[in-house]
Amino acid sequence: MRRFRIQTPLGRAVGLGSAKSGFGHWWTERITAAALVLPAIWFAASLIAHSGSDYDTFRRWLREPINTALMVLLLVTLFWHAALGLQVVIEDYVHSVAKIWALIVMRFACFALAAVGIIAALRIALGA
Amino acid sequence: MERMTTKRARPLSPNIQIYRPQLTSVLSIANRITGVALSVFAVVLVIWLAAAASGPAAYSQLQTIIGSWPGQILFLIATFAFFLHLCGGIRHLVWDSVRAFELKQIYASGWAVVLLSAALTVISWLLNLLIAGHS
Amino acid sequence: MPRTDAFIVRSSDQVPKHPLLKRFPVPRNFGVTPGSRIERGRTWAAPAGAVRTKAFEIYRYDPDGDDNPRLDTFEVDLDACGPMVLDALIWIKNNVDPTLTFRRSCREGICGSCAMNIDGANWLACTRYIEETGTPAQIYPLANMRIIKDLVPDLTHVLAQYEMIEPWLQATTPAPDRERLQAPEDRAKLDGYYECILCFCCTSGCPSHWWNGDRFLGPAALLQAWRWLTDSRDEAAGERLDLLEDPFRLYRCHTILNCTRTCPKGLNPGKAIAQIKKMIVDRQS
Repeated sequence: MRRFRIQTPLGRAVGLGSAKSGFGHWWTERITAAALVLPAIWFAASLIAHSGSDYDTFRRWLREPINTALMVLLLVTLFWHAALGLQVVIEDYVHSVAKIWALIVMRFACFALAAVGIIAALRIALGA
Repeated sequence: MERMTTKRARPLSPNIQIYRPQLTSVLSIANRITGVALSVFAVVLVIWLAAAASGPAAYSQLQTIIGSWPGQILFLIATFAFFLHLCGGIRHLVWDSVRAFELKQIYASGWAVVLLSAALTVISWLLNLLIAGHS
Repeated sequence: MPRTDAFIVRSSDQVPKHPLLKRFPVPRNFGVTPGSRIERGRTWAAPAGAVRTKAFEIYRYDPDGDDNPRLDTFEVDLDACGPMVLDALIWIKNNVDPTLTFRRSCREGICGSCAMNIDGANWLACTRYIEETGTPAQIYPLANMRIIKDLVPDLTHVLAQYEMIEPWLQATTPAPDRERLQAPEDRAKLDGYYECILCFCCTSGCPSHWWNGDRFLGPAALLQAWRWLTDSRDEAAGERLDLLEDPFRLYRCHTILNCTRTCPKGLNPGKAIAQIKKMIVDRQS
């Protein structure tokens, strides 16, 4: 139901005013997108080349410094970009108090997944 | 105060229920859906790395799941989602630099994104079969 | 003859020849509150003796009753009415149902009054040929608007959003005794933007405005914002950008470009918004 509230149309449109921000999010989403292009293509190409590999071949591949570096770079950029993109999706469709919680949980999940992925990659690369 | 005398709230005219799907809106929602799907596949990537880090047993178990029929179908979807989001994302970056905004360019680049993504999906699966078949 | 092309749309007046989908595959009442659900209305037959007829399905809403909106079907005598969709509406009002309510004024695409949703896309009823519409022709009010009656939407909110961008020249330099001078190339920068007639086809066709129209300004207001930002005589660019830089007001635009696809004046709101975003990049770096 529509709330009954006496307010001028301009007052309603102005709302809480401009946040005077938004550029940072928009710009970082673009920068991480551009930064993802190369690691993503490298990753896709690696999958094509190594999808049938056994455990030792895969370990040897990931232990090469260039591949370790690219994998860590991919994980950082991927989850950074995902967090920014999913934020927009949540803000677009969730209009209740659940929005704030969804945003917090989503960001936490992205951080946690990036951390687990990076640690796993480094363990394979640097471990015995 | 005409609002006070109105018997009922004014109805909202339909939006998505009637608005014609166009290449503009369809590719936009496709970019969003593939982005969300790729976020889910990113979780699979992390599980894969964690499995590989924990030892050969977990790694081969995961390889079996990925190699199964449902796993392969999900992987095919992921491949197409990946290329659609990649090509669509590049299209968006071009727009963000205030280029290719003529309708003709919007439609041509849209169809190019669809065709290129489909072609890249097919090519990468053929390459994969070729390489996997030789190893 | 209307231009049709199956795949590439070259100008916004082009009607798709073979649309892949007539509507998105969502339930008819997807996200629709009970009071806004559309019911089956009645069918109004063509007058006796009509030879060439065509069915028009038209959204009706009567604010004086307690009934929900409904979809009436009118059989229009094509030999008795003019060639445009607006002519069909006027013919219905004059000959079949005088209560059918819609806005119209200039009947030549310059006033923006008769903007409505025709066969699933927003356009002006006065510049859309009846022969370009499907059978039955589907006539709804502008999408996602509060409806006053039948095809008359309440534009209060979108006009307030237009008012918010302060659509007038702002300068602190005292006004000169003569016109404010502008180089021809600076004047040319207003082309493609000053022609906007505020019909709100674009804002009403923007999915992002559907979901967040209370805070997102929408393509019409943002195109007008660009029209003042790019005016060499204006001195308030900084304040204008401050007002716009907001996660919702400006950045809810996701470059979907339904706006550019649907503008009945062939303008490019999507490009205008991209230029505002680029101007903010220039200011930041």
